[in-house]
Amino acid sequence: METAAQQVPLEHFLVLSAILFSLGVYGVLTRRNAVLILMSVELMLNAASINMVAFAAYTAPQAFTGIIFAVFIITVAAAEVGLALAIILRIFRNRQTANVDELDQLKW
Amino acid sequence: MGMTDAWLLPVIPAGAFVALTFLGPWLPRRGDWLAILAMAATFLLVWPITADLTDALATEGAEFAGVANSIPWLEVPGNLELRLGVYVDPITVVMLIVVSFVALLVQIYSLGYMHGDSRYGWFYAVLSLFAASMLALVLADNFLLLYFAWELVGLCSYLLIGHYNHLRSAAEAAKKAFITTRIGDVGLLIGIILLFTDTGTFDIQQVIAAAEEGTIRTEVLTASVVLIFMGAMGKSAQFPLHVWLPDAMEGPTPVSALIHAATMVVAGVYLVARTLPLFELVAGASELVLAVGLLTTMMSATMGLVVTDIKRVIAYSTINSLGLMFVALGLGHPAAAMLYLFVHAFFKALLFLGAGSVIHATECQEVSQLGGLLSKMSITAPMFLIGALAMAGVPLLSGFWAKDEILTGALENRAVFSILLLSLPLTAMYMTRVYILTFLGEPRDKEAYEHAHEGPATMWVPLLVLGFLSFFAGLIVFDPIGRMLGFPGGIGEVIFLLEPEPLDFDWYVAFGSTALVLLGIGAGWYAWAVRTDLPQRAQQRLPRLHALFANKYYLDDIYQGIIDNVVLAGARVLAWFDRNVVNDTGVDGAAYATGFMGYLLKFQQTGKLPNYALGIVVGVVALTVVAFAVKG
Repeated sequence: METAAQQVPLEHFLVLSAILFSLGVYGVLTRRNAVLILMSVELMLNAASINMVAFAAYTAPQAFTGIIFAVFIITVAAAEVGLALAIILRIFRNRQTANVDELDQLKW
Repeated sequence: MGMTDAWLLPVIPAGAFVALTFLGPWLPRRGDWLAILAMAATFLLVWPITADLTDALATEGAEFAGVANSIPWLEVPGNLELRLGVYVDPITVVMLIVVSFVALLVQIYSLGYMHGDSRYGWFYAVLSLFAASMLALVLADNFLLLYFAWELVGLCSYLLIGHYNHLRSAAEAAKKAFITTRIGDVGLLIGIILLFTDTGTFDIQQVIAAAEEGTIRTEVLTASVVLIFMGAMGKSAQFPLHVWLPDAMEGPTPVSALIHAATMVVAGVYLVARTLPLFELVAGASELVLAVGLLTTMMSATMGLVVTDIKRVIAYSTINSLGLMFVALGLGHPAAAMLYLFVHAFFKALLFLGAGSVIHATECQEVSQLGGLLSKMSITAPMFLIGALAMAGVPLLSGFWAKDEILTGALENRAVFSILLLSLPLTAMYMTRVYILTFLGEPRDKEAYEHAHEGPATMWVPLLVLGFLSFFAGLIVFDPIGRMLGFPGGIGEVIFLLEPEPLDFDWYVAFGSTALVLLGIGAGWYAWAVRTDLPQRAQQRLPRLHALFANKYYLDDIYQGIIDNVVLAGARVLAWFDRNVVNDTGVDGAAYATGFMGYLLKFQQTGKLPNYALGIVVGVVALTVVAFAVKG
């Protein structure tokens, strides 16, 4: 009986993760709305998680390290979103905008 | 309680020090009783050790080579093993008796002398620490522990000289004592390390054995012996490092009696006596010791003639005595040196404590303001007289026997013998002078005289005890008396080192020295009691000579000149370098350069998030490409 791993090779997961990551990068670079940038960052984080889980399943199925790593990424991402959204909310309250092009005060 | 348990001795006063330091303010009477009890216990424990030593000497005789007991301290496998331990032989025991006994008496005396002092508890704490370190010094079986204790006694000396720390002169004197002895101590440390590099051990007996086998290179041995002697010169106030001792008289008088007369300053004599086999292996080392001792003896005797401070006169007499001990060591008679050390501890402590009584009574220590105190101080005056006569070397008193041993030992060396003879009347003269000026004649300061009174019993009882010992301690040179006190063979085996020596007694030397001493006393009597204008006229006739003595041979001025013109000039060059090169160019320059780069780069900041994000992405891609390119 063929296992799922043999039916779907590792490369598929890696390609999926690469596509997701690239989309995330594209989003971060092109979007102007801070919330959308944040969502793109989440995309990149999830791409990394997929990589972790895939490598864990294919190369070391007995060890849990990859999976635990993914769990950690999810946890950290949740915390980060909470923090970042709060910051964006405060900025929006203050300046009535979340457009990052207009938020350019942090310089000399 | 045998010789191997001797490590207990320093531990007891050290415990008292810890207790007084941390609990002092909460103890009744600031814990002085605790310090004295600890010292008394230590003193009592010395006797079983002495008995054990005399038993061993009686059974083993000349074969006896000392008892060691040590524990491992620090170990680097295959490289280094440091041990911590005690070594007991006759000179150790002599030192133990002297240190514990004088320390006990001085602590009792201080009950009266230091009464009402604002730092009374701390004074007793440091006295305990001093006793502990001094006992550790004489018990140490290795150079490292010895050096450790050596520095500790130096520290205690510093703390106690500067006890009256509100006086600028006391603070300066403490600093001077610390720094001057430190010059010698650096030599000692280098010498110890040099010996270690060639023998791989710090153990004193092993080092001596190695030197006798010839496994130490000659030049290393020569250098280390000279350096060790440098340490001894600093601690024992030998020319040219003697300048600190007269100034050390700024400390409380009991401290002068304990540290600067009876115990710490003889540590140098002890060290040379302990390592004498090394000195004998180096050509010229004994001659160096001899020359330094002679020079110191003569110089201090002349300076003692003109000093006007009662304590400083005694301080110069201490330097004088220490010089004599080094002469004996240089002549190869450690036994005579140790005998002199033994009796000197009693009569010099007596002189200082007597001077302390005078100062306590009159609050004045310039002899030009004292005088006539004999009628007021009926205990101090005769005791001081005994001390002064013992110091001068009047027959039958303790100092006579010890001085006679040294003189007899010098008989073969005519030059040394004649210089020693020359110093005898000088010593007798200034001791007569200080006694006459203090206790006889008309009181020069009526108010101080009216105020004078004998101190409390805690002060005069130690004086009586020391007076008794100053009178009779020299008699242990006679074998029957030594045997009666429990020392088999008397002086021959208690004080004498490796091979017992019989008492050398030469009637010609004894009579000759007595005549010279009496001549000195007579001259002193004539000049200061009969023709009292004589010193004045001598001073006017020979102003240069008087200035030379009174200004301490200008050594202090020379040292001050060296400090001002060489040390401080060097310091100024270094300060300029530090200010301009290290600080302005190095530290400030680096900060300024960083600031300037920041100024240039800050205009690259846009504050726009997408720019930074793009930078990160481009950077990561570039790094990845480089990583792949490098890995191939």
